[in-house]
Formats: sequence, structure tokens, C-alpha cells
Amino acid sequence: MIHLKNIARYYKRGFQKSWVLKDISLDINEGEFVTIMGPSGAGKTTLLNIIGMLDQADGGEYTFMHEPVHRFNERRRNELHKHHIGFVFQAYHLIDDLTVYENIETPLLYRGIKGKDRKSMVAEVLDRFNIVAKKDLFPEQLSGGQQQLVGIARAIVGRPKLLLADEPTGNLHTQQGIEIMDLFKQLHADGMTIIQVTHSEENAKYGERIVRLLDGFVRQDESSAKEEKSVS
Amino acid sequence: MIKHNIKLALRSFMRHKSSFFINLIGLSTGLACALLILLWARDEMKMDKLFALDDRIFQVMEHQDYSDGILTTKSTPGPLSSALVEEIPEIEYAITIIDPGKYNLRVDKKSIRASGVYVGKDYFKIFDLPLINGNSDQILSADNNIAISESLAKSLFGTADQAIGQAIEFEGVDLYTINGIFEDLPDNFSQNFDFLLPYEPYYQENIAWLSNWGSNSPHTMVLLAQGANEDLVNEKIGDFIKKRVENSQVTLFLKKYSDLHLYGNYRNGKQAGGRIEYVRLFSLIAIFILFIACINFMNLSTARASRRAKEVGVKKTIGARQQSLIYQFLSESILLTLVSLIIALSLVQLTLPQFNLLTNKQIALDFSTDLVLIFLGISIITGLIAGSYPALYLSSINPINVLKGTMKSSLGELWVRKGLVVFQFTISFILIAAVLIVFKQIQYIQNQQIGYDKDQLVYFNRDGRLQNQIEAFFTQAKELEGVQNISSIAHNLVGQQNNTRSVEWEGKDPTLDLLFENVRVNYDLLETIGIDLKEGRAFSREYGTDSSAILLNETAVSIIGMTEPVGQRIKIFGEEREIIGVIKDFQFQSARQEIKPLFFQLVPHYSWLMMASLEKGKESVGLKNLETLYESFNPGFAFDYSFVDEQYAKQYVAEQRVGVLSRYFAGIAIIISCLGLFGLAIFTAERRKKEIGIRKVLGATIQNILTLLTKDFIGIVLFAILVGLPIAYILSKNWLNRFVFKIDLDIGYFGLAALLMLIIAILTIGSQALQAARMAPKEYLRNE
Repeated sequence: MIHLKNIARYYKRGFQKSWVLKDISLDINEGEFVTIMGPSGAGKTTLLNIIGMLDQADGGEYTFMHEPVHRFNERRRNELHKHHIGFVFQAYHLIDDLTVYENIETPLLYRGIKGKDRKSMVAEVLDRFNIVAKKDLFPEQLSGGQQQLVGIARAIVGRPKLLLADEPTGNLHTQQGIEIMDLFKQLHADGMTIIQVTHSEENAKYGERIVRLLDGFVRQDESSAKEEKSVS
Repeated sequence: MIKHNIKLALRSFMRHKSSFFINLIGLSTGLACALLILLWARDEMKMDKLFALDDRIFQVMEHQDYSDGILTTKSTPGPLSSALVEEIPEIEYAITIIDPGKYNLRVDKKSIRASGVYVGKDYFKIFDLPLINGNSDQILSADNNIAISESLAKSLFGTADQAIGQAIEFEGVDLYTINGIFEDLPDNFSQNFDFLLPYEPYYQENIAWLSNWGSNSPHTMVLLAQGANEDLVNEKIGDFIKKRVENSQVTLFLKKYSDLHLYGNYRNGKQAGGRIEYVRLFSLIAIFILFIACINFMNLSTARASRRAKEVGVKKTIGARQQSLIYQFLSESILLTLVSLIIALSLVQLTLPQFNLLTNKQIALDFSTDLVLIFLGISIITGLIAGSYPALYLSSINPINVLKGTMKSSLGELWVRKGLVVFQFTISFILIAAVLIVFKQIQYIQNQQIGYDKDQLVYFNRDGRLQNQIEAFFTQAKELEGVQNISSIAHNLVGQQNNTRSVEWEGKDPTLDLLFENVRVNYDLLETIGIDLKEGRAFSREYGTDSSAILLNETAVSIIGMTEPVGQRIKIFGEEREIIGVIKDFQFQSARQEIKPLFFQLVPHYSWLMMASLEKGKESVGLKNLETLYESFNPGFAFDYSFVDEQYAKQYVAEQRVGVLSRYFAGIAIIISCLGLFGLAIFTAERRKKEIGIRKVLGATIQNILTLLTKDFIGIVLFAILVGLPIAYILSKNWLNRFVFKIDLDIGYFGLAALLMLIIAILTIGSQALQAARMAPKEYLRNE
């Protein structure tokens, strides 16, 4: 499903290039639950953003569902992105001025889904996540766990093929974290491809494959069971 | 999606109440201003365009070529209209119109003074005024016909229905029969009269001067035949007068009647503006004020962008494209302007009566389709402009930066914001400076020493028995309490009234062709109005020969070039006159013109206006006594008087209106600008909370913090003044150039304007800054 080849990404600091990702090659199949780990600054989030098409690599090839993303313009990337990818953030990032219902509905608006269909899709997710009673509340009226629940609901309401989660439990208490991770497990069981970034070994156990990054390289890919040494 | 956007916009309004209200107030007052100006401009544009044959109605005008330039005038010879109809086939109708006068009308015991005009009998064929009664083909066909307005009919007869066919006594002598009643004149018609009399009998009565092709006084209007070519007619009539008058310097031309109102000014034979200049000026001011309000929206929206940034970032991660975000922010600003439009319309409705008073109009707010469309159009365009920059700016935010929390205001963005504020305050500064200068100039010309005592002078018509018994009236009036002196004169000394170029003297350059103002006066006139003699003497009853004497003003003497004028002789209308005195120059036109050469001649017979000076402090007693005396001479006549100073002030009505209006507009511009500044000050204080806290912990005083928070803004305002200064200087210099007599353009006016603006700006941001500076540091740092 995802094929990354020699992906590189750098930022300019003054006249110097500061490399975040140097040479990443990675294949992820449909239905996998992958955890990306590594110390701070290893490039985890940057990699996730590139996979999620929020960011673009400076070099290398990225194929998503047989489409050469690295050759696409902004418009076509946006099309792919909004139809197939859902995002979950550490800080939830719900829109403050919208209710729970409206937050979940928003991605459907951008996909141009008709009002009637939107209603039933949102209702289904609300029901599935057990948050029907909260649908008219604003984010600030919810606890952190509940907000993240809404965040996940919003990410999957459009039935994406790929769910990307960046430290989804980072701001949560342990118990809430467990509940969220259970939810991911269940989504995975239902066939969703999930890539999560985390520092927590506990959370990593929910997945079936761990990719460890260090200084912009893949240091270890556990499911493939062989270490990829840096080529520098 | 629209519903979603509107919902978000409303919630964003509620969440950021202070910016919302600043924007709402700014945009609605800005829109209200723009709508008022729009209504006014529309009214101006519609002036005189009410007739079915509008595009065929023309005024015949003259270019008169003199040594000091071309004088363009509407005055034409009395026989012109009938000759034009006879000789130019393209002219279907031509009529003569005599300037309106106030005349006494009487029915039974009821006397009314009303404004009447002598017009050619085909008047109603050209100007199709709606009639209540009468046949437009023959309303003025008989010599004793009169056409009156509906209200005049009502005030004379109580009803308009039975007035037709009734007789009216005119000026105590002639009897006229009402042969037509027209609806009261609409507001968008620049002619002004209560009744019309036929010109043809008037021509016969005044044939001595009206039949003279060299004498120009009445106006001439023509109706071109269908399909006639204006240029062709212009060619044919150009030399019409030159063919009839030897040495004539007059060229005739046609001016579309409905264009005169806006394009009525001529400078040296060329069309040079008119009221259209004010239409343009105020439209420009309207656009500027609206733009100032737009800038508030731009600045406040981008300044608090960090709050909206998260929304943008999230939306982008869930599939929003920049385009749909632009669309969202634009719908937000348009929604805001539409709400503002509703408030603006109520403001317009509320202020229209006052505005009408200021502009001397009768504008009503009607909701005709075209006007509603224009209103909506203006609002939507305003919304688009206001929303454009924020929409582009907000929608281009990079989601990765926002969600990481590393978004910073870029330098470029700060510059744009500062630039916009500079623009606002530049406009405000120019307006304030303009207001000061217009005010000073009007004050200057109103109080200018014009060379005679205009303040206590009152004049009224020499009518009824005064025409023959004027000496008896003089004798009795001079005895009255409160009356200082009395005389009579041909006209009221305000503006060019009567002039001639047939002034000859020994050694005159034969190519010199100049107009001399011709003032026909009675004895005691100089003493009555208080004009000083430079040398020689005034007209006096003690000399029997004064009917062949003449008084010149200083300008005339210097043009003739005499060193010892008194006792010398010049020729006027071919008759020899002896110069008995020289009067000091006085202003008989407005401050816009140089003082022109002038002579006084003693012609008691032609002095149709009574001119009396009242005693200071006893004006009302004097007036009352004059009225009693007048009525004893003219029973049944209403005593109708005017003050010379009021008449004089009327010359500056346009300038005064501009003065008052620009005061309001400048006020609104500065209020809206300061609202924006206030919003930015709130925002800055909030953004720099932490910095202020840290500085206070490190020992900064309140003064230190105040300086820190205000110096940027003051810098911006100072910069705006610097930018505005040359523009304001050039604009005021241009405006002042309309006047020959004007104030010196002192730098002090601009200094005062700058000071005023700085004070207002400091007051605006000071309160916010003080509040921020006073807060205890722990308040700032607690959140960290």
C-alpha cells in the first residue's frame, strides 16, 4: 500500500541544511498496524507528515496505493489525502468553535458528501463510539479522553484506508490511554491500516511491527526481523 | 458548506467580541457614509434630467473674448430666441427666460410675494412639467396669461381646482388670467419659480434694451429638432451675433441643458469642472472611508490569526484545500458587511434629515431595485476587499507549523499591517488638515474687509408708488428711528450684475477690450453703504450737472492710466462724462475674483433697489419702521427685504457646505482609524503579556512599559503625518487657488492637524497600554 524509497527531508537553517530524514525506505502493506519509534528529533513526525501528504519529501519516491505521490501536484495529493487518510493528534486539535457533531462532520464537507449521507455517517460513528449524548457539546466541555475519542471519530468517519496517529495518548491519563489504544486495536481488527508514532513501548505492543528511527535513518524494522544499517 | 461557513463565522464573532464590534462599528459607519454620499451623488447626477426631450434641450451660451480672457456667460440678447427659430431649421423651439424676480400678487385682499419668471410662450413644449390644469400648447399664448404652481394656487384661492380662469393683480397694476396650473416643481429641477408670465409682452415693454443685439441679459433655451446635429448647429450659430453687431466679440454655442448643473464652470472659454468636482471629491472620500474600515478588518483578522491558525491547520489535515478556506474567510467578511449594511441603512435613515439640511437637498431613502442592487453590490465588494488579505493570509498557513505550535508572525506580515495603519492615518491627517484650512479660508473671506459696511445694509424692491415718489420716501425714511441713511441703486453689489465694454478715453489702446462694471445709483448711495472716496467728491444734489458725472474705482483709474483723474473726461456709451471722484476699491464679486474696473453713474431712474443702512443695535426697530413706511406708500404690498451680508455670504454656500461635510467625514475617518488602532493595542498588550511580566520582574516601571507599548504606534502615526504632509499641502494649495483673496498656507495649520491626530492616537492606545502596564506580573506569568 505504501512504498517509500530513499525518502529525504531537510530544513534550511541559515545557509546550512539540517537533515531530518536522510534515507528512508519502507514498505507498508494494507491492514498492517505499524508503530514508528525513536528518540526526539529522529524524524518520526516528519515521516508521518510525509506519509500523510501534509509535507513533501525533498528526495526519494513515495507510492501510495500504486499512485506516485512524489510526482503529484497539490491538487491531486489533496484528493488522495482527503479520501484515504485520517489523522489523530496528540493535542486532539479539534476546532474550538464547532460542536462534537460538527467536528466529526467537517471532513465529509470537504469531500462533498451530501447532507443526508453525512448525517447517517456521523450518526453511525457517534453511536459506535458511544458519544451520542455529547454531540452538541463544544470541545472545551469534554475531558481529554473524550476529546481524543472525538478526534479518532473525526479521523475515521470518512472510512479512510489509512489512519495516522501522532502520539495519540501523549496527553492522556493511563486509563484513558488504554481505552484509546483498545479502540485502535479494534479498528485494526476491522481491517484499518494504522501507523502510529509513540514513545511508549506499551502502546507499541498493540501493533504488529515496530520501525525504529535514529537520526533520519531506519535503524530497525522488527517485523522484517532484520536490521537495516545506516549507509552513511 | 455555506451553512457551515456561516455558523463558524457567527461563532467566531461571538468568541472575539471586541474585534467583532470594532469591525461592525467601523464598517457600518463607513458604509453609512458611503451610502449617504452615493445618494447625494445620484441626486446630483439626476439634476435637470427629468424631461422627456432631455437630449434635445440646450442652453445657448456665449463666449465673450476680452483682453483679460474669455468670459463665458448664459446671458444672451433679448431678440435671440425668435431669430434662432426663424433662421436655423434645426431649432424647433427657442425661448427667452428672464431671471426670476420677487413680485407682488394680489387676489381680493390677499397679497403674496412670489417668485416669477418671464418665459417664451413655448416653455411647456420644451420643459414638459406635469400640468394639473391647462393645455400645454397655449398656456402662455395670450399677453395676459399666467401659469401658477399648485401651492401658489392653494395659497391664493385655497384650492387648485377653481383657480383656472381667475384673475390675479400683478404688482398693483396689471391683471393676468390664470391659464394653467402646474404641479409644484420637482427637487431635481434647478429652475425655481412659483409662476410664469409670457415674455413677448415683456419684450415689447422693454424693447429699448431687449431689442438691442449688443446687450446681453436674458437666458435663451432651445429645443433641437429630432435628429439634429449639435455640432452642425454650433457651427451655424457661432457667428450669429457677430453678423449683427459690429466689433462683436461674442461667439454663441450650445450647452446641453442637463449638463450645466454638473459641468457649469468655464475658465477662459474652456469647460473647467463645476459641481462634478464635488461629486468626484466626495465619492473619493467615501471610498477612502470605506477602505479605512476595511483595513481595520484586515488588521484585526490577521493580528489574531494565531487563534484562527489552529482551525486552518486542522482543516487542512482533514482535507480542506486553500481555495475552500479562502471561500470560508471571504464568506465571513461578506456576512459581516451585510450585517453592517443593515445597521448602515438605519444610520442613513436616521441622519438623512440632518444630511438634507446640510446639503440643501430632499433626498429620501427609497428601496428601488437598482438602489438595493447598488447597496448590496457595495457591501459585497467591501466585504471582498476587507476579507481578501486575511483570507489569503490565513488560508496559506502551513498546517505543520501550526500543529507543532511554532507559528510566528513573519516580518512581511508585520510590514503589511503597519503599512495599512499608515495609510489610514495618512488619509485621516489629510482630512483633518483640509478641514482646518477650509474652515480658516471661509472664516477669512467672510470677515474680509470688502470696502463697505455690508453688515447693516438692507435692500428691497422699489415698487408701487416708490417708483414715482422716491424722494418723498427718502425724506421720510431718513427721519425714522433706527434708519441711518437710505438711497437706491440698480442692483445689490454682490456679483457681476451689469457691465459694458464701451468705455473710451484718450490714448486708449485700440486692442484693449475690457468689461467695466456699470453701477447706476441715486444720491447718497456712497454715504449709505459706506464706500470711502479716495479723492474728489460723491454725487450731490447741490450740483445740477451730476447726471453727466462719473465716479471710478481705483482699478479703473489704474487701467486707464490717469495720474490726475478728477476733472478729466472719458466716454461711456459714446457720451462724455466728467470724473468727479475716485472711490476706493471694494469687493463687488467674491474672493474668487480680482477686483474689476467699475464706475458709478447717477441714474436715479434706473435704481430699482432701495438700499438702507440701519443703526447698529437698532436694526429691528429700523426695519419695523421701514416696513410701516413702505406699507403706507404701498398698501396691499408685502414688504420683502434682504440683507446684503446674507446675500454676500451666499456666494460661498458651496464652500461652506464642503467645509461642514468634510468636518463630518474627517471625524468619521479618524474615529474608524482609531477604532482599528484600539483593536491593535488590545492585541499587542495581550501578545506581549509575558514580555511585560518578565520586564516587570526585572524592575521595569510603569512608565518604561508604557513607552514600550506606545512607541511603535506613535512612530506609525508620525510616519503617516510625514507621508500625508506633502499631499495635504498640494491639495490645499490647489483648492485655495480658486480664490484670489486667500489665507497664507502656513505650516502651522499642518502642525495643528498633526498635533490633534497625535493626541487622539495617544488617548486611544494609552488606556490600553496603561492597563497592561499596571497589572501585577504574576497575572502574566501564571499561565506559563
